[in-house]
Amino acid sequence: MIKIESLSKSYEDFLVLDNINLEINDGEFVSILGSFGCGKTTLMKIIGGIINDYTGVVEIDGISPVKILKKRKIGFCFQKANLLPWRNVIKNISLPLELNGDKKSLDKSIELLNLVELSSIATKNVWEISGGTQQLVSILRSLSLNPDILLLDEPFSSIDEISRDKLHNKLIEIHKKTKKTIVMITHSINEAVFLSDKVVILTKNPAKIIEILKINFFKRDESIKKTKNFVAFVNQIRFLLKG
Amino acid sequence: MKYIKIILGTFIFLLAWQVFILILKIPNYLFPSPVEVFNSLILNYKTISLNGLITLAEAFFGFLLANSISIIIALFISFKNRYENLVMSMAVTLKTIPIIAITPLLVLWFGSGFYSKIITAALICFFPALVNILRGTKSIDKNLIELFNIYSANTSQKIKLLIIPSIMPYLFSAFKVSSSLAIIGALVGEFITANKGIGFLIISNYYSLNIAAVFANIITISVIGVGVYNLINFFEKKIIKWNTIENY
Repeated sequence: MIKIESLSKSYEDFLVLDNINLEINDGEFVSILGSFGCGKTTLMKIIGGIINDYTGVVEIDGISPVKILKKRKIGFCFQKANLLPWRNVIKNISLPLELNGDKKSLDKSIELLNLVELSSIATKNVWEISGGTQQLVSILRSLSLNPDILLLDEPFSSIDEISRDKLHNKLIEIHKKTKKTIVMITHSINEAVFLSDKVVILTKNPAKIIEILKINFFKRDESIKKTKNFVAFVNQIRFLLKG
Repeated sequence: MKYIKIILGTFIFLLAWQVFILILKIPNYLFPSPVEVFNSLILNYKTISLNGLITLAEAFFGFLLANSISIIIALFISFKNRYENLVMSMAVTLKTIPIIAITPLLVLWFGSGFYSKIITAALICFFPALVNILRGTKSIDKNLIELFNIYSANTSQKIKLLIIPSIMPYLFSAFKVSSSLAIIGALVGEFITANKGIGFLIISNYYSLNIAAVFANIITISVIGVGVYNLINFFEKKIIKWNTIENY
C-alpha cells in the first residue's frame, strides 16, 4: 500500500505540492489528473523515490520510496518511450534485467511480450515499430523486473487516438494479468475514467487534492464509454477541473 | 551510374592534363604528364607500395593513440564535467602549437624512426578527435541517463550499454576526420627526418628532380587516404544502423 500523509514540496520559494493525503491500495489502478505544470510529475517522482526532499510522509508498505527504488521494485514509464535505438525490441525489454545481472533476461522478456501477444516483434529494431508499440515496449520494459508498483507519466500523450484505444486495452490486460499497483499521470479525462479504479484530481499551483473519485465498472471494455455512468464521471471531473 | 560518372570524370581530367602538358610543352622536371606519372608508378610500384605501407602503419598507430586518448578523456569528462574547461584549454594550447615546429623535438625525444612519426600523427589528429567525441558525450539523451540512474546502473554498465553506443555516430565522425589528418601527420614527420615512408620518397625524389615520382607518391598517398576514409565509412554504415535517428 502507498501511503501519503501531509506531503508538501517546494522548489526554492515556490510551493508545488500542498498537503497531499492519499492512500493507494495494492493492485489498484490510480490516475492523477490536473492542469499542465501543476506538480503531477513531481508527485509521481516522490512516490517513485526519485525526489526525496519533501515534507510529510510517503511510504510504500511502511518503507520509504527511495529504499523501494533501490530494490528495483518500482517500474517507470515516461511520456517518451526512451528506447535504446541500438538494441532491438527484446533487448530493450531485457535492459533492466541485464543491469540487474539476470542471466535469464531474454526468456523473461519473451514472456512479457507473450503477455500482450507481441512476440512476433521481438527481434525488430525499435525504429521499425510504431510510436504506440514503442510505448507498449517501454511499459513492458518497466515490468521486466517484476516491480510491485508501475508509475506511468503520460504514457499515451504523444500517440494517435486509434493506437491509444488499442494501448488502453493492452494496459487493462496487463493490469488484469499482473495485478500490479499502477499510478498513471494523464491529461485525458476519458483515459482516466476508462482505465482507473480511482481518479485523483489536483488543483492548479500549488497542487492540492480536490477530489478522489472511485470508479466502479463491472467490466472494462469499449462498451462502457457509451454508458451514462461513464459520461457522468467524465462530466463531473471536467466540472471539478474547471474549478 | 555513380561509378561510371567517377571513371568518366577521372578520364576527362587526365586527358585534359595530358593535352595541357603537350600544348604548353612543359618540361617533365616541372610538371610531368599523367603518362609519365603512370610509368613512374609502374616502374617503382614495389618501393612505393612498401613505403606506403610504412606511412600507413605510422598513421594508423598515431590515429589509434589519438582516438584512444580522446575516448578516455571524453569518458572521464562525461562523469567529472568540472574538469572540462581545464582539459579543453590544455587541448587548445596543444592545438595552437604548429606541428612543424614541434616535430624536430619529437625526433630528438623519440628518435628518427617509427615512434616520432606516430607521435606526430597522433598530435595532429588528437584535437579534432577529442572535440568530436566530446560532442558525442554531451549529446547523450538526458532521459536515457535518467533511465539508467533509475535502474541503478553502475559506471561500467553506463559506459558499455549507454555512452559508447550513444557516441558511436560521433566516434565515426572523429575517425573520418582524424584518419586523413593522421596520414598528414605521418608525412610531416617523414619530411623532417626519415629514411623510409612516402614522405621520405617525396623529398628524396624532389631533390633528384624526379617530379614524376613525386607525383606518383602523392597519388599513392591520396589513394591510401581515400581508401581508409571509405573503409571507415563502410564500417560506419554496417555498425550504426540506428543513425537514422529521424526514423526513430
